[in-house]
Amino acid sequence: MKRVIVLGGGIGGTTVANRIRKGLEAEVAAGQTQIQLVDREGIHAYQPGYLMVVFDKMRPEETKRDESGLLHRSIQLVRAEIEKVDAAANKVVLRGGKELPYDVLVIATGSVIHPEAVPGFVDGAHSFYDLANAQKLRTAIQQFSGGKILVAVAGMPYKCPVAPLEVTFMLDDYLRTRGLREKTEIHYAYPIPKVFGIDTVAQPMQRLMSERNISFHIPFNVERIDPAGKTVKGVEGETLPFDLLIAIPPHRGSDVVGASGLGDKGNWIPTDRFTLKLEGKENIYVLGDATNIPISKAGSTADYEAEVVAHNVVAAVRGESVSARYDGRVYCWIMTGMAQATYIKFDYLHPPHPPTPSFAHYWNKVIYNRTYWDITARALF
Amino acid sequence: MVVDARGSWCPGPLMELVRVIQEEEVGTEFELLSSDEGSRKDIPLWIDKAGHQLLRIQNEPGFDRFIIRKSHS
Repeated sequence: MKRVIVLGGGIGGTTVANRIRKGLEAEVAAGQTQIQLVDREGIHAYQPGYLMVVFDKMRPEETKRDESGLLHRSIQLVRAEIEKVDAAANKVVLRGGKELPYDVLVIATGSVIHPEAVPGFVDGAHSFYDLANAQKLRTAIQQFSGGKILVAVAGMPYKCPVAPLEVTFMLDDYLRTRGLREKTEIHYAYPIPKVFGIDTVAQPMQRLMSERNISFHIPFNVERIDPAGKTVKGVEGETLPFDLLIAIPPHRGSDVVGASGLGDKGNWIPTDRFTLKLEGKENIYVLGDATNIPISKAGSTADYEAEVVAHNVVAAVRGESVSARYDGRVYCWIMTGMAQATYIKFDYLHPPHPPTPSFAHYWNKVIYNRTYWDITARALF
Repeated sequence: MVVDARGSWCPGPLMELVRVIQEEEVGTEFELLSSDEGSRKDIPLWIDKAGHQLLRIQNEPGFDRFIIRKSHS
């Protein structure tokens, strides 16, 4: 019997497991192939929803579901802590010593936030990169009555590169509707000399900021936060004051990657950008935030990568040639207000060109959020 | 150390450089490959502001190769 193991029950792991199952339907039904997905909690978090929770556009409970209800019934969900991957012996070792052998392994262990890596972050900054902190930020914004709001990026890489832009534009809109915008300064600090990483996006976003009276500080790399003095010191020497700080925490790859000796210093896994194979290993694939590929760490990246990985895993299990290649495709919406959005779509060869923000693009995002569980996660098409 | 950021439209080659430069030792030399035309302006600007060294830029077919040294922690 062939064994396929997927590590991680996020967007990438769930969709790739369901896609592999669809491709190997006959083999799985005949008991010739077994698919297992290993996840610590077995709870699937829809992380793009956290920003929506901050602004009361999704309820907290709408951002999570039990993984067992999302996976096809023929996929075995293993709720367990992973100790390490023993790539030389083709097995996954679980906490407690149990070993799971595999013929093909897919690593989708994602990224982990490390707010403690920046002095003062935990006590001085709000964030929305986990559900508990998104809810705290929601309360802080509801209680906000005016002053200086600072949005800053406190480490790289971070998932959802457009999120700092989105929270800034949504705040601006939200405060206008509450009649607080005149009493509020909004400041945006970004680590490079433009408000986003690529010109075709940075230029229209910078124009929007100017139109909406949002100040920007570029480049600004956070060195430390002073919770008592309510300031952020940048490595470039500038210090920015705030009444409410919203910061993006530093991210690292999963500790499992480090424990397995598979990652770089940040626990990101060296991955071929086209085949999505772990460099030097023919039977291990990597997708989503876990890779070291220099493109967006975002749900859509994981979803598009899952198509390629699933196609190749199916071929590998059948002993066929493995030929599908990832073209770098990513698609992300950018909220530019409470009910307005644009989007970026790009691949390795074609940069993004965001269209004029509109309600229609926003509504597409809403539809995606609401249908995610039943279409994308289940790999319906 | 080679940082191949060709086709890295989001978050972008400079963001990738900022990431790796934080992780490596002082004195490390990087070759950053970028197909983004904006890099010709942004990367020298950021390196100057951050106090690192841009040793040279080589124009290659379809991309630029930036040779950079990390000068301080």
